[in-house]
Amino acid sequence: MIRVDAGKCLGCLSCSTVCPSQNIVRTETERTRSIHWKRCKEECDLCVELCPAKALALVSFDESVPEPEVCFDLVACKICGSRYATEPMLQRIEALLPEKVQKDASGLAWIRVCPVCRRDIEAERATSQLVLGRSRKSI
Amino acid sequence: MPVYIDISRCIGCRSCEVACKRVHSGHGHVNVHFVGDHASVPIFCHHCEDASCTLVCFSGALHKEGEKTAFDVTRCTGCGLCRLACPFGVVWTDKIAHKCDLCEGRDSPTCVTTCPANALSTDFEEASRRARTRAAIVAAHGGRR
Repeated sequence: MIRVDAGKCLGCLSCSTVCPSQNIVRTETERTRSIHWKRCKEECDLCVELCPAKALALVSFDESVPEPEVCFDLVACKICGSRYATEPMLQRIEALLPEKVQKDASGLAWIRVCPVCRRDIEAERATSQLVLGRSRKSI
Repeated sequence: MPVYIDISRCIGCRSCEVACKRVHSGHGHVNVHFVGDHASVPIFCHHCEDASCTLVCFSGALHKEGEKTAFDVTRCTGCGLCRLACPFGVVWTDKIAHKCDLCEGRDSPTCVTTCPANALSTDFEEASRRARTRAAIVAAHGGRR
């Protein structure tokens, strides 16, 4: 069965996606994501190998150990407020990307913005000159 | 060989969006956005030089192959970090990651061949020539179009 280091877990989708026996159950609500590792007898260590945070370990089966579960509050997009990621995932991205790309030309810390709003921002940026020219014409 | 957009030509018909979905079994990688009534623009992968998605991908599924940001489906664990690392919001995760693959196996990306307004191209020279021409027209009209 699997031992989880809750302090290291990012709350990503890796283990629950790769588990061939569906022993790792992910439950999502609008505001939270919880991951529950069922007590498994398999000797498979796919989830352990493919954990980006190395938060999992394969330990011998023990009926007395409770099934591990972690729960994360999802972070709200600072523009639209929709919940789109876990805090440790965003922190991991902030740690991996060079600092100079973490703010766009307008100084916006875009990692804290959801992908949908990022596309909207990109569309507005790309068309700003054009919109200016066309709205002048229509006056 | 990324896809270049001539935004002034985009008519907002969403043909690229539909074509992309058709070719990628329902998972499209193009989103046409509208900015008021004045402009529309398809938003898709830029195939960035130092692509953020490849920097956070721990399994090596997303990687650079020359100019292209390529994706190896066999190495993807579906963790979802790439989706959160893309500054333009054009990587999706649905069990596994999916993004623009420049229509691998086709002569030309389907959005480019489909666009009825010729707003998309893979030819950098053509894209740059059009931009220069437009800038020259603006300059010749004293800054007004």
